[in-house]
Amino acid sequence: MNPARRTRLEREYALLGAILIAPTVLIFCAVIVYPLVSAIYLSLFQVFTPTLEGSWVGLSNYRELLGKEEFWTSLLNNIIWTVGTLSLQIIFGVAMALILHQNMWFRSLARSLILFPYFVSTVVAVLVWKWLFNDLYGIMNHLLIVSGLTDFPIDYLGTMPNAMISVILVGAWKYFPFVVIAVLARLQTIPDALYEAARIDGAGPISRFFDVTVPQLREVLVVIIMLRAIWDFKEFDMIYLLTGGGPITSTQTLPLLVYKEAFKLNQMGMASTYAVAMMAIMLVFMILYIRRTRSEEDT
Amino acid sequence: MADVILRDIVKSFGSVTALRGLNLQIEEGEFVSLLGPSGCGKTTTLRILAGLEFPTSGTISIGDRVVNDVAPAQRDIAMVFQSYALYPHMTVAENIAYPLKKRRIPRGERTVMVQKAAELLQLTELLRRKPRQLSGGQQQRVALGRALVRDPKVFLLDEPLSNLDAKLRSYMRVELVELHRRLGRTMIYVTHDQLEAMTMSDRIAVMDGGDLQQFAPPNTVYREPANRFVAGFIGTPAMNLVDGELVLSGGDWTFRTGNLSVPVPPLGENAAAGPAALGFRPEHVRFGEGPIEGTVQVVEQSGHENIVVAKFANDLRITGRAPAAQVWKPGEPVRIRIDTAEAHAFAAGPNGERLNRPRAAA
Ligand SMILES: Nc1ncnc2c1ncn2[C@@H]1O[C@H](COP(=O)(O)OP(=O)(O)OP(=O)(O)O)[C@@H](O)[C@H]1O
Ligand SMILES: [Mg+2]
Repeated sequence: MNPARRTRLEREYALLGAILIAPTVLIFCAVIVYPLVSAIYLSLFQVFTPTLEGSWVGLSNYRELLGKEEFWTSLLNNIIWTVGTLSLQIIFGVAMALILHQNMWFRSLARSLILFPYFVSTVVAVLVWKWLFNDLYGIMNHLLIVSGLTDFPIDYLGTMPNAMISVILVGAWKYFPFVVIAVLARLQTIPDALYEAARIDGAGPISRFFDVTVPQLREVLVVIIMLRAIWDFKEFDMIYLLTGGGPITSTQTLPLLVYKEAFKLNQMGMASTYAVAMMAIMLVFMILYIRRTRSEEDT
Repeated sequence: MADVILRDIVKSFGSVTALRGLNLQIEEGEFVSLLGPSGCGKTTTLRILAGLEFPTSGTISIGDRVVNDVAPAQRDIAMVFQSYALYPHMTVAENIAYPLKKRRIPRGERTVMVQKAAELLQLTELLRRKPRQLSGGQQQRVALGRALVRDPKVFLLDEPLSNLDAKLRSYMRVELVELHRRLGRTMIYVTHDQLEAMTMSDRIAVMDGGDLQQFAPPNTVYREPANRFVAGFIGTPAMNLVDGELVLSGGDWTFRTGNLSVPVPPLGENAAAGPAALGFRPEHVRFGEGPIEGTVQVVEQSGHENIVVAKFANDLRITGRAPAAQVWKPGEPVRIRIDTAEAHAFAAGPNGERLNRPRAAA
């Protein structure tokens, strides 16, 4: 519309809109844009963390990053962790949601219990798992030895690939309830009549699952996978507390690398460079997510 | 030959009994409506026929075959749901083809059959659309298409028109009747809209409280309602029903209530003196002159006529139809005459049976 032609009322509405949006924009700038810009800014310096004093190095941090093996192994670890734990979350989450969607007498109890891992604080969860995994008094090793499956206690967190597998499993345990809840919510909105129509049309249970349930879950699964991929990719506390990135660096993901660089090696500039690189990688997911939601709105 | 037989069907949901011993015999090729107030068990009956619900007791036969233990897909029925239940992610063509696909009909044949169904229902232009890109009436036709593409023995339709606007509904009524004529298949049609039932059906099964009240052609249901429930349920405005008593004097029956006394048409063997009800339709009330005097209460104008509700002694309220030319005002005194030759007598109680002598087969 031609702005000059706007009526007074329209101009007033536009002004009101700007006033109402302003607080959000300010907060957005303060908590998102500022840290982002300052991370990029810091990545161009060599900074000593305790004093935050540094010198301009231009892009040399980035040059160093590209040649650094630890970055690439951390990235690989990060991908293994994300893909591994996310797949398990989706598989268990969807399976559990389908089970809990059935009419069972303990359904409502089970639905609340399932949320437990998701609600429990990461520190507590990790302590409990460390205790379960312990090679001296852990229940897992005890059961394995008693049942005769193994003669020696297994070192779950101190060797590879056990450590990565354990981290992936604990991550799956902790976050699959999110998938359960999101999928269950969607399942409950699928009209029964669709299943009944399919039964009359001659579809067996398997056909009904693939022809009615799966297509209805597709959208919600895309959203879940994107969100969880982003969240799992930047997971820090659980891995840090469980293995600290060890043994050596075999479960060290990028967030752990950033932390180590910033607070153990005191290289805030280099740490910011890693963080910016991480963000660039996650940007791919975010763009996919935004595209997806936009194309949904269009159709 | 009877095509669909329900014998002594009882259906309980826990403590709720939805059907109490329903018996129904539907002829091949018949268009039958299940009509009744909300909660009377129409949908339950249809779902039992479809095999989506199992009767607590009783037998269901479809085309010479007891189908109690037959899966819905093998019953040779098709159902059109009130919500249409189209598969949202499939196109119109895929929706219609789905039952064929599940019956392993080869793709080539499938396409031809879908095309034919689409032509019959004027859906050819829409075959590539998804259900959400269709209007209510178009979705409705797709649901019909999915039902008829399989050429089932019996069509089950649960209030298929209730989500459409009035104009489209009357259009689809005609379409459905036409479709029924063309296909010649048995159709069982659930509705709570008596206009639909009256205009479309060969026979209407009037239900109430999980029981069949009357199963007869529309005309019979209207002119010779089997009991007081049917009399009050069929017809708008509803039949006037007045409680009182029947008196026999010198071979002629008279109906009395308060100080009103009216002659009654000949009654059958089942009539007895005592408490009873008199029913007469609004069109059998004449306004202007007559023996009964009261006051006009409400006048509803509908253009071609006026519906007049008048109040008489002993709180008696009578509804009648008056020609549009007659102007009545609330509060005005009025005299009426009841055309008692067309009146019905019913035994006492909400489901009291009709007592009139059956019409001689003229
Ligand atoms: N799954 C169920 N569980 C418990 N009660 C049910 C169930 N389905 C139906 N009923 C009960 O059975 C009775 C008949 O229900 P039904 O759906 O057949 O009614 P209807 O005649 O189709 O009514 P409407 O015109 O409102 O659709 C009602 O009292 C209803 O509450
Ligand atoms: Mg119903």
